[in-house]
Amino acid sequence: MSGEYNPSPEGNPSLLARRNRFQTALVKFIGRHTPKCREVVRILSQSMDSKLSLTMRIKLRLHYLICAWYQRYEKQLHELRKFASSVPDHVDDFSADTLSPAARERLKEALREERRE
Amino acid sequence: MQSPKIISPTPAATATVDPERWVEEHGDYLYRYALLRVRRPEIAEDMVQETFFAAVRTSGSFRGKSSGRTWLCSILKNKICDHFRKLGRETSFTDLEFLDDELSHKFVPQGFWNHEHGPFEWKPEAEVVMHRAEFWETFRNCLSKLPQRVAHVFMLREMEGMETEQICRDLNISPNNLWVMLHRARMALRECLEMNWFKDPQQESG
Repeated sequence: MSGEYNPSPEGNPSLLARRNRFQTALVKFIGRHTPKCREVVRILSQSMDSKLSLTMRIKLRLHYLICAWYQRYEKQLHELRKFASSVPDHVDDFSADTLSPAARERLKEALREERRE
Repeated sequence: MQSPKIISPTPAATATVDPERWVEEHGDYLYRYALLRVRRPEIAEDMVQETFFAAVRTSGSFRGKSSGRTWLCSILKNKICDHFRKLGRETSFTDLEFLDDELSHKFVPQGFWNHEHGPFEWKPEAEVVMHRAEFWETFRNCLSKLPQRVAHVFMLREMEGMETEQICRDLNISPNNLWVMLHRARMALRECLEMNWFKDPQQESG
């Protein structure tokens, strides 16, 4: 790794790898002119909550061309959302905790009181 | 444990308002939900109680609107928000320090992924995984490792689908703080699920 880090190593499944001099130059160019992965994960998270500017979306598309991990990370953010939004349907898998019989009785008693008023 | 989790409108509960029956039918569900959100049993119990009280007080407006559970749950969510709002006023907001290195070892100094620590492919697919009760245990454990308020923010956004503007207003935090917290929560959860579920051969057994 001399000086410049190779964002696109051997066997990289991303579209642009360093297969020839032209691609290598392109990979380096894109690597220099798009946000780095560390920044990209931050931006991807933000894209889950607000619409990114057109310029940023273009930069991300370019980054995607040279980065093996971009798509996977983005997909996992969406899966995380899917998991989280399904939690209410799986609350009973989360725990078998129950209201204690005492708490249940207290609750019913309090509700009876409340209704009488 | 394998009973269908779909919230079914319970005709009996919608026709007649019987709080004691609510307690029987929805008490445990609400308690578990509250426990996940506020973590401490005694607080969760309080939340459930307040929910039922509010429900009794306004039950006139309830009949036939939505399923009993959905309605009770929406009251509970509001109570939980109140709880965290109060908490926010009493203590300083230090959760931004959580994961402040943002797992920097995963990246080389130039900012690209360290290829040995790139995201692992999640298999099987989310749809398959979600049918496993053990998965939800893992998910719960991962959630419980987040600082409570970070978890609150994450669940408001991703579990309850609240808009970011509303979360900021509600908790009186800046959009930037919110984004930082959401990003770190997502990062930490992603990492935790990867380590404890997707990379764990144990999930194959059972």
